Amino acid sequence: MADPARSDVAPSKIEICGVSKRYATDDPDTPLVLDNINLAIGDNEFVTLVGRSGCGKTTLLNIIGGLVESTHGDVKVNGRTVSGPGQGKGMVFQQHALFPWLTALQNVGFGCRNKGVHKAERDQIAHQLIELVGLHGFEDKYPAELSGGMQQRVAIARALATDPEILLMDEPFGALDELTRLEMQDELLRVWSAHKKTVVFVTHSISEALVLSDRVILLAARPGRIRREFPIPFPRPRKRTDPQMIALYDDIWKSLA
Amino acid sequence: MVTSRIISGLCLIILLLLWQFAVMSGFLKPFQFPPPSRIGEAIVELAVSGFPNGERIWTHVGITLWRIIQGYVLAIGLAVPIGLLIGTIAVLDKLTLPIITFLRSVATLSLLPLVIIWFGTGELTKVLLIAYGCFWAMLSNVIAGVKYVDPVMIRAARTLDTRPLAMFVRVVIPAALPRMFAGARMALGVGFMVIVGAEMIGTIQGLGALIMEARTFYRSDITIVGMLFIGLLGFTITSGLSWLETILLPWSKGLSEVRR
Repeated sequence: MADPARSDVAPSKIEICGVSKRYATDDPDTPLVLDNINLAIGDNEFVTLVGRSGCGKTTLLNIIGGLVESTHGDVKVNGRTVSGPGQGKGMVFQQHALFPWLTALQNVGFGCRNKGVHKAERDQIAHQLIELVGLHGFEDKYPAELSGGMQQRVAIARALATDPEILLMDEPFGALDELTRLEMQDELLRVWSAHKKTVVFVTHSISEALVLSDRVILLAARPGRIRREFPIPFPRPRKRTDPQMIALYDDIWKSLA
Repeated sequence: MVTSRIISGLCLIILLLLWQFAVMSGFLKPFQFPPPSRIGEAIVELAVSGFPNGERIWTHVGITLWRIIQGYVLAIGLAVPIGLLIGTIAVLDKLTLPIITFLRSVATLSLLPLVIIWFGTGELTKVLLIAYGCFWAMLSNVIAGVKYVDPVMIRAARTLDTRPLAMFVRVVIPAALPRMFAGARMALGVGFMVIVGAEMIGTIQGLGALIMEARTFYRSDITIVGMLFIGLLGFTITSGLSWLETILLPWSKGLSEVRR
């Protein structure tokens, strides 16, 4: 329900209100996976969730994505409570999660096909996105024939194909080698500047978060909660060796300890 | 690759020569271990004059092939839809699991006396026995294929607004296909295992019958020829099936090679 008194204030794209999570299989005595998370994410904002393993960052992302239900609290997108996956929320997973029986082009067109987009238009969209992620010439390759970095490029293109407002990324570059990872970070920023989206990006790499995002949300574990937020005011592209970046890195690192 | 083939070919030739020599020198009895030369003569005999009662080898091969095809197609045709249904509906899977585990553990040939009482000693009995053996191998693989679809695939599809029917047709079935093909290969193997027993009664035609008849006449050479042809037939069809898989599922090439 929109508050008429606040109608002049630009509403947040994503609102996380008092979200807590305990898995049904968990021992009732163990701390909550997520404990009363409150967070507002603005339109076209790029937010990273950073924290140690077990801090619930992936669970939080899955709750925003509608793949996992919260125990308490809810998530609103455009003021409407999230009730399930899809519906304008694209996702990219740590494992590429591409359909191995479909070619790169068919994988990218999968979501459009669900929406009843005709083949010609679907293929056109998919071609454009494959071009955008730098995979021209690999349209007809199966996922097994692509390298890890290329698979993740296809996965990003697939998530963008239905033009969702929100892109949720769960450690998408976590399984890649260091060099490919750096390359993919630049690539993602390039794609993001071409298709402005609200991005929530989960990572355990502080430097990745610093290069990519407008805001770093640092989560603590047992119970999972927000420890601190760090706005990153530097313009992009950012240099990883910038002294201000290094200072912020140290700051975040100390907060983690 | 080529050299390894030459080497394995050489090994086979040496083995056959040793065998031949062992019989000729009196170390092995020709009645128990008919030498390769005798087996060669038996093949010629089967091709020219036939055994038993002038039934030539081509008749035996053809009849056996036809019985296996009928039983196999019947089994696959039933196992695929039933397996898809059971694999999709969790309750059905729980209910049928003990029955399936029990029935597939029953050695197919132990059913022979019952099947004869029910359906006589004609063609139907043989085809049904083959179908029974193939069915369970295929069924369990179809069920497993559907049930153990990578949950990551399902989640990814859900984030792409995939509705239930599309999920089944465009995600679950394709994801289950490699497993289903593995089941089809296993089922074929079972079919060839069952054939000798299925042809034990009421016929003198077919490779299984050939082997049983050879036993009656103490023709161990013909028994070996029968084994040889069953092996060749099985090998050929299985290769054909694998070839079909690489054509139909080009994307799972890497997977099936690893699995084998």
